[in-house]
Amino acid sequence: MKILYIDTSSSYLYSAIISDTEVITEIKENLGHTLSEKALPKIVSMFSDNKIDPEEINKIIVVDGPGSFTGIRIGITIAKVYSWALNIPITTISALEAMALSIADSKIHIPLIDARRNYVYAAIYDSKMKAILKPQHIKITELQEKIKNLNEEYEIITNDELSMFETKEEYNPNILKIVQTFKNKKSLTPHAVNPNYLKLTEAEEKNN
Amino acid sequence: MKDIYILGIESSCDETSVAIVKNGTEDIATVISSQIDIHKTYGGVVPEIASRHHVKNITIVLEECLAKANMKMEDIDAIAITYGPGLIGSLLIGLEAAKTLSFIYKKPLIPVHHIAGHIYANSLVHELKFPLLAVVVSGGHTEIIEMKEHYKFNKIGQTLDDAIGECYDKVARVIGLEYPGGPKIDKLAAVGKVTYKLPVPLKDDSYNFSFSGLKSAVINLVHNEEQRGNKIIKEDLAASFQNTAIEAIICKVKKAIINNNIKSVILAGGVAANNALREAMTKLATELNVELSIPPMKYCTDNATMIAAAGYYAYKDGRIADLNLNSKSQDSLK
Repeated sequence: MKILYIDTSSSYLYSAIISDTEVITEIKENLGHTLSEKALPKIVSMFSDNKIDPEEINKIIVVDGPGSFTGIRIGITIAKVYSWALNIPITTISALEAMALSIADSKIHIPLIDARRNYVYAAIYDSKMKAILKPQHIKITELQEKIKNLNEEYEIITNDELSMFETKEEYNPNILKIVQTFKNKKSLTPHAVNPNYLKLTEAEEKNN
Repeated sequence: MKDIYILGIESSCDETSVAIVKNGTEDIATVISSQIDIHKTYGGVVPEIASRHHVKNITIVLEECLAKANMKMEDIDAIAITYGPGLIGSLLIGLEAAKTLSFIYKKPLIPVHHIAGHIYANSLVHELKFPLLAVVVSGGHTEIIEMKEHYKFNKIGQTLDDAIGECYDKVARVIGLEYPGGPKIDKLAAVGKVTYKLPVPLKDDSYNFSFSGLKSAVINLVHNEEQRGNKIIKEDLAASFQNTAIEAIICKVKKAIINNNIKSVILAGGVAANNALREAMTKLATELNVELSIPPMKYCTDNATMIAAAGYYAYKDGRIADLNLNSKSQDSLK
């Protein structure tokens, strides 16, 4: 069993090929503005360096957002075209779920992604990964209120500046753990694999 | 000789399209998913909305095209992709799809310039004859390109500001026509008379164009008439504007044909669907005794058929990209 993991929802490429119990190969690299150019060739290098054929993949897990709109679409397009071409089962997960899962402690986990203009994409998960606050686009002051009302210890996970939150854990994905958690998640048809932006476009917001 | 099948992918603006073309000339299957009704609400293409629809549509359009052709990806010789110019977020969907297919099926990846596609739309109807002059007119481009042989482009003139199609859409908005207004002006003009006086832009020795001045002249004219309490006769304004815009194109094309000893002229791009321009070009071609090729309406707007056709000649020219290929919002045709 080989699973391909793809997350391009930030300026980082997080990708891996995972066997049942171990990481065969992985990439965690900040590609910045070269993401559109480099993401696919970097993924391809995992295959060529380890002599793995594209047909050997049994499942694809792709992060569908939230984060950079363009970034999300790059990973989703690669993943859904790959899945469609070779008829490989595919499933999506949230970047916030991946972030919350990657910290190993028993506190409440609050993953954050900067959404600019005083907003963040955020979720709150308890120690069993049950969502206390579902992934959403939320005003920072509103989130701070919700955090104040938590009666347990919590940990904030983010790779963004967000200086209003003082103590933060840096996000370094534990891809093995993420994949093992979601490898049995229900598969989708590739046509139905689409970004989950958690936010309308500005034009749509104005029209509403 | 073995037949060459090229799969083309086009996503540079608001159409997601996939096509298969045989030997650069035969349209085997074309699928276009247009977003025109979605963007109508906003009075123009909203880039982020366009990108969101491309990613939704891409595998559906791929699947429909292969089913229509009754072919498999294994039957394809190479993948042609519009790498630019266009809306960057839109272009990237087609690009990532093409790169992924190129990796999985180990097929050559051929980067195609969007304008090369519009030019090669003509090779789907008949053989290109050189030296030729390509007159490219669309919402994003107004260019005169000279070609002495296949896939060698020499741009001799271009717009210095707005593209002609852009100018049409803006004038249409002033007259109060719904987006996309260009085709509606053409229709209105057909029943109007040339009564309003407008300046023919850029009457100089170059092969360049300028349309922002003409656009401003129309806007000023409408404002002045309104202030005087005169009602604008839309049909006549459309006819007057169209007459001037086409005159601006024709006088430069005429000069380019004569000075460059051109034998064959092709019209390309979305505005090639404009009836008045088709008529004026036909008249000019007859007058100068040159052959004129105008693509059928279905190949005038954005489509992947033209990209696959151009891709065939690019492939023959050895233009193959590696998987580091990136999209470019702007790039000159080389």
